Amino acid sequence: MKRNLIIATLVVFACSFIFLLSSCAKKQVITEEKEIKAPPKEVAKVEKEKPPVEKEKEAEIERAERVRLERLKELEFAKKREAEAIEAWKERRAIKFEAESIYFDFDKSFIRTEYRPDLKKKAGYLKDNPNINIRVEGNCDERGTSEYNLALGERRANSAKEFLLSLGISPDRIDTISYGEERPLASGHDEGSWAQNRRDDFVIIKK
Amino acid sequence: MKLKSILASKTFFNKRAIFHTLIWILVLWIGIIFQKKEVEARLYIDIASPSMRKISIAIPDFKYLGKKNEHPGLISKFPGIISNDFDLSGYFRTLDKDSFIEGPGSGITRDAIHFKDWSVIGATLLLKGGYECIGEQLKVEARLFDVFSGRQLYGKRALGLVEQSRYLMHRLGNDIIFTLTGHPGPFLTKMAFVGTSTGHKEIYISDYDGHNLKQTTSYNTITLSPRWSPSGDRMIYTSFRDSGTVLFMHDMIKGSVTKISDRKGLNIAATWKPNGKELALTLTIGGNPDIYLIDITGKILKKLTRNWGIDVSPTFSPDGKKMAFVSNRSGSPQVYVLDLINNKVERLTFEGNYNTSPVWSKLDRIAFAGSSDGHFDIYTISPDGKDLHRVTKEQGNNEDPCWSPDGRYIAFSSNRTGNHHIFIANANGENQRQVTFFKGDQLSPSWTQHSK
Repeated sequence: MKRNLIIATLVVFACSFIFLLSSCAKKQVITEEKEIKAPPKEVAKVEKEKPPVEKEKEAEIERAERVRLERLKELEFAKKREAEAIEAWKERRAIKFEAESIYFDFDKSFIRTEYRPDLKKKAGYLKDNPNINIRVEGNCDERGTSEYNLALGERRANSAKEFLLSLGISPDRIDTISYGEERPLASGHDEGSWAQNRRDDFVIIKK
Repeated sequence: MKLKSILASKTFFNKRAIFHTLIWILVLWIGIIFQKKEVEARLYIDIASPSMRKISIAIPDFKYLGKKNEHPGLISKFPGIISNDFDLSGYFRTLDKDSFIEGPGSGITRDAIHFKDWSVIGATLLLKGGYECIGEQLKVEARLFDVFSGRQLYGKRALGLVEQSRYLMHRLGNDIIFTLTGHPGPFLTKMAFVGTSTGHKEIYISDYDGHNLKQTTSYNTITLSPRWSPSGDRMIYTSFRDSGTVLFMHDMIKGSVTKISDRKGLNIAATWKPNGKELALTLTIGGNPDIYLIDITGKILKKLTRNWGIDVSPTFSPDGKKMAFVSNRSGSPQVYVLDLINNKVERLTFEGNYNTSPVWSKLDRIAFAGSSDGHFDIYTISPDGKDLHRVTKEQGNNEDPCWSPDGRYIAFSSNRTGNHHIFIANANGENQRQVTFFKGDQLSPSWTQHSK
C-alpha cells in the first residue's frame, strides 16, 4: 500500500515537473520524454523540426516531393472530374437533343423561325458526334384523317431533315418516319394539347 | 271499350286509307322499277327521301310451330333481329311490343290473324313468323301482311342451323325489302373497322349491324385504313407491323397475309379500283406524297398525281374512269377529281377550310368529311360539284364516311356519344343509328362492296 502511494505521488510529481520543463526548456524535455514513454505528438514533431542542417535539407526535399505528388494527384483527379463532367454534359446534351422537339403550325410543315437555332444546335451535336445517326419522327394533331396526317407527318420529318442537310449533315445519317396522328403526346382535344402533338421528335440511334 | 275502339278505328280509317294507297303506289312503283331497273331504282329513294314517311310495321313474337318447344329463346330473338334490321333500313317505324293487343290464340297465317287488332294500334304492315327445330336444324318462316286489306304481301321459309339464326333472319329481311322496294336490303353485308379496345389499333370485322364481332389482326401496333376488295374475299390495310407503314393484303378466306408495298417512306391510303385488279395508294418514293396505281402484287403501273402538295385518299368512280382524292395543292386539304382518260384535275370542294376522305358511291355521289367550324361533319356532293348536302350537324365529330354496296346508306365514325363509334344513316342523312358499342374507339369503317 505504502509503496503504491509513493509511486503514485512520484508519478504526479514527475508529470508536473515535465509539464513545467517542457514549457521552459525543450532540450531537457527530450530526455524526460524518453523516460515517460508517452510523447505527445506535438512534442515529437518539435523534435523533428530540430534536426541538423543536412537533415533539414532532406526533409525539405521530401516535403517538396510530397507536395509535388499531391499536386499531381490533384491534377489527375481534376482531369478525371473534368472528363466526367464532359461526359455528363455530353449525355445531357444528348438527352436534350432527344428531349427538345420542334413544333409546327396546324396543317403546316415548315420550320418555324424560333426552332431554327435548335436545329442548328442539333446539327452541331451531330458534327461533334460522328458516330451517331438519328431518326426524325413526324407527328400531327388528331384533326383530319389519319391518312392525310401520315403524309403531313412525313413532310414535317422531312422538313427537319432538309434543314439539317442544308447545315452539312450527311443524308445517310438521318432517317425519317411519320406516325401521323397515331402517337399523341397530350391526350386533350384542345389547342393546348394539339400544339404539343404537332411536332418532330429526334431519336439518337448509335451506329 | 268497344265504342272506344270503334271510334279509334274510325279515326284511323282515313290514315289507314292513305297508308293503303301509299302501299299500292309503292307496289306499282316496284312494277315500274322492275321494268326500268337502272334509272328508276335510284329515283325511288331520291324522290322519296326528303319527305319519305316511314311505314309503321308490327313484328310480334314468332310462334313455335313444332311439337316440342326447342330453343324457346328464338321466339323473341327473331323479331328482335328483323326489327333492328327494319329500323336501320330507314323505311320503317317498328311499333313497340307493349302496344300489341292481339290475343294468344292467333296464328301466323291469314285466316288466324285478327287484323283489327293491328289496325287499331296503327300498324300498316304486320310481320308474322314461326319456326321449328329438329335438333340443331332450323326452319323459319316469315309472312308479311297488309293490315288494311289483310293481304299477304310476302311469305317465305328459310332452312339452316340454329347457330345461323341471325343470318337466316337477315336473309328473310333482305328479301322483304326487295319485295317492297325492288332493291335488296343491306342486312347481309359486313363492316370492317379499326378498333382500339386492346390499346392498339387493330382491324375488326362485324355484321353491318355491329353483331358477330371478330378481330382480324393482332399486330399489337398501329393498323389503319381497312378496305374490302370489291368481291369481299380480300382486304387491304396499312400497318406499322414492321416499323414504318406497309400495305398488306389479307386473304379473308385463307387467312393469309402478304405485303403488297413496303417502299421507303409512306405506303398508305390504298383503295381498290372497281375491277378488283388494281389499287391506288400514296407513296413517297419520289420525295413527295403522290398517288400511284399498282397491281395487286404491288408492281407500280402508273403515277397518277404529280404535284408539290400532299395527295392522299384516292377513291374511284363506279366505272373506274375517274378518281377523287385529297390534295393540299391549294393550301388546305380539299377534294379533287382526276379524269383518268384526259388527266384533267378539277377541284370539287370549295366550302370550308378542310375537306377530306372522299368516297365514291355506286349511285355516283361522293361523300367526304369536312370542317368549317372546328368540327368535322359528313357531306355528300355530286361528282360535278353540284348539290352539296350536309349529312351530320351539331353531333360531335363525324369522320371516315363509307358507302353501303348499293350506295343507299352511309357509315361513318362519330364521337357524339363519347368515344368514336360506327353509325349508319340513309344516304340523305336521315335515320342515323349507332351500330357499334364496343370498348375504346371504332374508326375508319369499310363496308363490304358486294351484296349477297
